[in-house]
Amino acid sequence: MSSSPRKRSTSAVRAIALLVIVVASFCAVFFYAGWWDAMFPVKAVTSQAHQVSELYTVIMAVATVVFLLVEGLIVWSILRYRRRPEDTELPPQIHGSNVLEVIWTVIPTAVVFVLFVMSLNTLNTVDALSKTPDVQIRAVAGQFQWQFDYLTPDGKTKLFTESTPLAANGGGLVVPAGLNVQLSLTSPDVIHSFYVPRFLFKRDVNPGMVNRFEFTIDPTEAGQTYRGQCAELCGIGHWTMQFDVVVKLPSDFAAYVKERTAAALVTPAPRPSGSVALELKAKDIQFDKKDVSVAAGQAFAIHFTNGDPAGLPHDVDIRQSDGRTVLQDKPTVDGGKDVTYDYTALKAGTYTFICSVHPQNMSGTLTVK
Amino acid sequence: MATTTIAPATASTYRGGLYEWLTTTDHKKIGIMYVISSFIFFLIGGLLALGVRTELAQPGLQFVSNEGIYNQLFTMHATVMIFLFVIPMLAGFGNYVVPLMLGAPDMAFPRINALSLWLLPLGGILLLSSFLLGGGAQAGWTSYPPLSEDRPLASTGYGQDLWIVSLILIGTSSILGSINFLVTIFKMRAPGMTLFRMPILVWTVLVTSVLVLMATPVITSALIMLFIDRNYGGHFFDPATGGSAVLYQNIFWFYSHPAVYVMVLPAMGMISEILPVFSRKPLFGYKAFIFATAGIGALGFSVWAHHMFTTGAVFLPFFSLMTFLIAVPTGVKFFNWIATMWRGQLTFSTPMIFALGFLTMFLIGGINGAFSASVPVDFALHDTYWVVAHLHYVLFGGSVMGVFAGLYYWFPKMFGRMLDETLGKVQFIIMFIGLNLTFFPMHMVGLAGMPRRIADYANSGWTDLNLLATIGGFTIAASMLPFIWNVFVSLRSGKIAGDNPWEANTLEWATSSPPPPYNFDHLPEIRSERPLFDLRHGKTGH
Repeated sequence: MSSSPRKRSTSAVRAIALLVIVVASFCAVFFYAGWWDAMFPVKAVTSQAHQVSELYTVIMAVATVVFLLVEGLIVWSILRYRRRPEDTELPPQIHGSNVLEVIWTVIPTAVVFVLFVMSLNTLNTVDALSKTPDVQIRAVAGQFQWQFDYLTPDGKTKLFTESTPLAANGGGLVVPAGLNVQLSLTSPDVIHSFYVPRFLFKRDVNPGMVNRFEFTIDPTEAGQTYRGQCAELCGIGHWTMQFDVVVKLPSDFAAYVKERTAAALVTPAPRPSGSVALELKAKDIQFDKKDVSVAAGQAFAIHFTNGDPAGLPHDVDIRQSDGRTVLQDKPTVDGGKDVTYDYTALKAGTYTFICSVHPQNMSGTLTVK
Repeated sequence: MATTTIAPATASTYRGGLYEWLTTTDHKKIGIMYVISSFIFFLIGGLLALGVRTELAQPGLQFVSNEGIYNQLFTMHATVMIFLFVIPMLAGFGNYVVPLMLGAPDMAFPRINALSLWLLPLGGILLLSSFLLGGGAQAGWTSYPPLSEDRPLASTGYGQDLWIVSLILIGTSSILGSINFLVTIFKMRAPGMTLFRMPILVWTVLVTSVLVLMATPVITSALIMLFIDRNYGGHFFDPATGGSAVLYQNIFWFYSHPAVYVMVLPAMGMISEILPVFSRKPLFGYKAFIFATAGIGALGFSVWAHHMFTTGAVFLPFFSLMTFLIAVPTGVKFFNWIATMWRGQLTFSTPMIFALGFLTMFLIGGINGAFSASVPVDFALHDTYWVVAHLHYVLFGGSVMGVFAGLYYWFPKMFGRMLDETLGKVQFIIMFIGLNLTFFPMHMVGLAGMPRRIADYANSGWTDLNLLATIGGFTIAASMLPFIWNVFVSLRSGKIAGDNPWEANTLEWATSSPPPPYNFDHLPEIRSERPLFDLRHGKTGH
């Protein structure tokens, strides 16, 4: 060592001061900008999500300590051990220390093992399935639309299908607050993933297998709506594959199920006399017509044949000519089947008829004269 | 062996320069061509990423005309960066440095070495040609079936098939390269160079080669099955006819998780060469380092399904425990790196600056990995931008930082001239800021619920963070300009390097810069992992 002990100690003080300033200003900016809060997940709304959120906080605490410790040691080394002009001789050539190696192997092992056990405990409650859930719903994820089949409590019979995924269009995954909901997931085509950020949860929807999970939304959340969307790349309409979770009071939910079940049992009323059923076909994700015209002020109907293979649903919605604003929303029909859609009268003008599942490929002009 | 390597080199005086480079079997020229071609693909991959960032800067589809093109952008970005930049770049360093570090005249199989090099541009051109033939692959670099199979709304044209074929070619290049490395390391070491005197970089290349050799054939099988499914009506991954979509994911990640270590271990090796030299100390815990590297390699084969926690088809506790455990050897390395600097005499030349960049940034990529190891937390974070943040702190904060540390460190050996220090530090500062500006906000936008791989978003809470990341992306792009300028200027008029400009300790610095075709006129005695240190200070090995 060529430098005197005194020089070393003053430079140590300077190094500590610098380190404190660097760390303090970094932390100040971080908190001031609200970034610290942004480093935590969105507000949890299910009993399962609360557990995940708590677990996240624990891991975040450990991560913060490790981050500050290790970055601190690196910054400290940079500030404290820079080579000075008087450093002509080599520093002590230390090749290692078995004691230290054991210490920094054993302590991290213990830490990650504790985190593992905590994770496992949380997993066992988050991932648990009950024998008799309060509500059973089947989510069907197809390119690029969600559809929700409401099932009887035993999960065997379908009561009705909600084929409009967004609350703004009058649909959504309607669920009761405070009750235990079991969701089963199926896909007719590619892999999708059911993801609601507020649930702090996602589960893949694999073709050829059924995944199940349960959630219980906090009783205080009735009246809320949360957005969810597909989280596994599923093709060119991936980002449009969104849905809303609409939370109702259990009594309102019961009324909703009753009303929709009854509506599903009613046979559709016969078409008003005098209206015409237009023919429209779909094949290879294309409509066979690009232009359709009907009379103004008259109800009309479209007999729609889905010529694509099973698992490829289509529908024929009517939107404003901007192609976005939905005027009349119709349920989908699966590949290989046909349906007659009834539409209410429209004013004269130009509209868009469109498949809401494949809006990019399937649309045309509806002229009302 | 010696005669076959020397022959083309001596003949070179009678041939044109270009012909010599195209037909060379000299590991140094091959290594340099690996590095240059990888760097070109790095720029191409970067441009693709800028396309992604430009589109996401604001809600709405402005930059790309439809989602299909967007999906091609990120699919090709990841494919190019992983298979044509990071992996071959590190293989290129290995090619150049490993024989020199071992005191060998060349790689064990020089012609196979040339073959593994030239397979890369072939694969790269095939892959990129898909843009001219109806569009690139667009099922993500993971290309999960059934999306990547011939479904009405999946990929278009020949993009996916070209993707498969080019990956098989690149994989073949990796396998050939790994065999070459293994034979070189086991059979070509100079007298005195025992296994436990090899530089750590050679050890990491050794472990990496074992990973490549064991894992690459497995993904090749998945790719061939996918090709058969697509083109000849196979039903390996089609659930409608008894296949399994999740099976592909298991095979894919059995390769692709170890591939992460293929992309990181050699960078760790480079850091482990650089830190001791610029701290004037030996690497702390040399053997612990080797065991940690081997440990990461071994554990690396038991964590693949942590990419599949949300599939509902994985034995969760096992893969969670293994993923947590792999943090331990990584942590050991960190503490050893810090202990190497501890009480040293640090100087801050550009290689050291980038090595410190690696330490500070890779740490973040290591820590946020622990979040995903926890299964319930992963349920929330998987397939969101959090994961994009995590993998970029590993691959950019880790591998790319390491690559630039290595470029600045070995450039003088490769070309005989030093890179400019000021331009190097300017590049580092711009890149460091750009990297954090791009990837740190991705943690937050991921926690706010933004999934990856979406072309557009309507959530106003995500806009600012996305804009920030886009600005960061262009900042990173800007940091390449001083580097490219630096290379052009320094090749012509950089400071003459001399044999050993950094006072380094390993054998590649015992020969001239650049070394002669046969590498060494004579070798110093090798009695420790630092033969040149022993030579300078007249000490015997420990």
